[in-house]
Amino acid sequence: MNKRFVRFGASDEERGYYQTLVAKYGSPLLVISRQRLIGQYQELRRQLPGVSLYYAIKAFPQLEVLNVLAEQGCHFDVASEGEIALLRQLSVSGRKTIHTHPIKKDADIRAALRGGSTTFVVDNADELKKLLAYRQRVGVLLRVSFRSNSAAVDLSRKFGCSPDQVVGIVEEARGMGIHIRGLSFHVGSQSLTPDTHVEAIDRCNLLIDDINRSQKNPMNVLDIGGGFPVDYSNDQPDMDAFFQKIRDALARLPQDISVIAEPGRFLVAPAVTGIASVSGKARRGDFQWYYLDDGIYGSYSGQLFDHVLYPLQILEDRGDHEAAILSGPTCDSIDIIAEDIRLPQLQEGDLIIGHMMGAYTAATSTRFNSISNARIILVD
Amino acid sequence: MKEFHETLYDAIGQNFRIDKLYFEHKTEHQHLMIFHNALLGRVMTLDGVVQTTESDEFIYHEMMAHVPILAHGNARRVLIIGGGDGGMLREVLRHTSVEHVTMVEIDGEVIEMAKAYLPNHSQGAYDDPRADIVISDGIEFVRDTNDQFDVIISDSTDPIGPGEVLFSNNFYAQCHRILNPGGVLVTQNGVPFFQIDEVLNTHKRMGEHFADQTFYSAAVPTYYGGVMTFAWGSDDPGLRKQPLEVIEQRFEASGISTRYYTPQIHQAAFALPRYVTDALNRA
Repeated sequence: MNKRFVRFGASDEERGYYQTLVAKYGSPLLVISRQRLIGQYQELRRQLPGVSLYYAIKAFPQLEVLNVLAEQGCHFDVASEGEIALLRQLSVSGRKTIHTHPIKKDADIRAALRGGSTTFVVDNADELKKLLAYRQRVGVLLRVSFRSNSAAVDLSRKFGCSPDQVVGIVEEARGMGIHIRGLSFHVGSQSLTPDTHVEAIDRCNLLIDDINRSQKNPMNVLDIGGGFPVDYSNDQPDMDAFFQKIRDALARLPQDISVIAEPGRFLVAPAVTGIASVSGKARRGDFQWYYLDDGIYGSYSGQLFDHVLYPLQILEDRGDHEAAILSGPTCDSIDIIAEDIRLPQLQEGDLIIGHMMGAYTAATSTRFNSISNARIILVD
Repeated sequence: MKEFHETLYDAIGQNFRIDKLYFEHKTEHQHLMIFHNALLGRVMTLDGVVQTTESDEFIYHEMMAHVPILAHGNARRVLIIGGGDGGMLREVLRHTSVEHVTMVEIDGEVIEMAKAYLPNHSQGAYDDPRADIVISDGIEFVRDTNDQFDVIISDSTDPIGPGEVLFSNNFYAQCHRILNPGGVLVTQNGVPFFQIDEVLNTHKRMGEHFADQTFYSAAVPTYYGGVMTFAWGSDDPGLRKQPLEVIEQRFEASGISTRYYTPQIHQAAFALPRYVTDALNRA
């Protein structure tokens, strides 16, 4: 988990901006900035030229987000029938999707095919057998596991075959009449160094080369997953250096390999800002408690599920800072956004801004206590 | 420029230029479009798959209507399952010998939409007093009806999608139950070059209920992949082996003019490509 960055105070312009939004739409809010979203998409296009980008819908499955990205020409990574249904509402062709859930029921496969999503990811022979009846219709990627030491969320424990198993599974698939058209990997989410990406690209390069020498049906796709990090701690990491290493590794691939990526967090995290307000306060023991209208069961769910502490901005910086606790609105004692925090004197109605709140926030929020989720709006 | 990309196959796909979008209906569950294409006329698509086009629908509808009706020779009562675009109803009603057609369409809106945006398919067939339009699920209708029919035509969507139950063992069993002796069931059955499993599944399931189960074929250009198959189920093996003269005589007597169907094609359509017969023999 990252260390929490807190900023105190705001310019009059900032304060006015947030107050106007709350006056108009109420509190709490999750505010999607179209311009920031487009900016992140264009930045990733610049950093990974020639790579087809498939937005991982699960990060923030909001129609407005999908629409902005679709207009930019982005493709989509889907993992469920519900995500396919979202795209259908936007008339996004299934041709622009890849179905990345390695474990599927037959009904999931049929729903995906019906949605025009024909490229599937598998990581073992049992899953291949499920595609047997559809072998003429589908394209198959084999997911390989490479574990990152630096990723905040390890995605290579639950899914992926080991690199040693790849040739065997490709052979087995060929025996069933199923063509595996490429490899896929996911080093984990919020991977802070590119080393695992680079290692995985190089290893997949060797594996593909090996397979293409012996198989008459060549592989032509490498899916490098996502995991590209965003800056939660105001560390201002050198993203050019991060992506340079990935670009160098991709440049070592044969030219006829199509490279695709599945960014989620990188595209959407910086594009969304949370606005919560202080509902009430109490002094308990040595701590000043502030109760907000959004919390761990709502937009801040990512602090639990996604292991992220969002950068906070306390708009009103009045009086001495003292030991305080920022609590969510539910009755549960786990619903604490921040403790071990020193805060100025807050009043009811003061706004607390959560930055970088696009990825795995609303996506995992609950309806515990039947408290409504933050309203989601699109601006600029 | 707007385009429609068919999404049937991962490795290949046909694209259609959308010259004018007439109708689009999208929900969480389905996405339906009717658009104009310079080469094909109006095109209807459902969930990324071409359903029918004005330019080549006659091949499909003539072959699914005239082959069973003229093979039967005395079809008075015909049941159409699906067929909301109205093209099948139009072709069946061309036979003046047909006294009654029941058409069972699951979605009444499809009929209204087709009347408005694909009028050349039905050409007024919905106004024919011999036509009885039932809005119901096809599988429920064949299970519950007490009516009997001489010819049943299943004009369904693909088995992956809403038409799935119309490829089930139970559907074929119920069709068999409501066919008069000497009757015949025909169903659309996909493009075997790419979808041979659909042929094998139907052969197995339909074959359990009919003494004679086979397929006949025709090439419909926008159903990409060569010939498509129509499944054939009857208890009378002689039905599909009528002498050419008999078919010619019936066709002439019908007074129908066609653009694809001929008695010669009728006979020849039952000759199947080796890759289909081989697969059937292996199964």
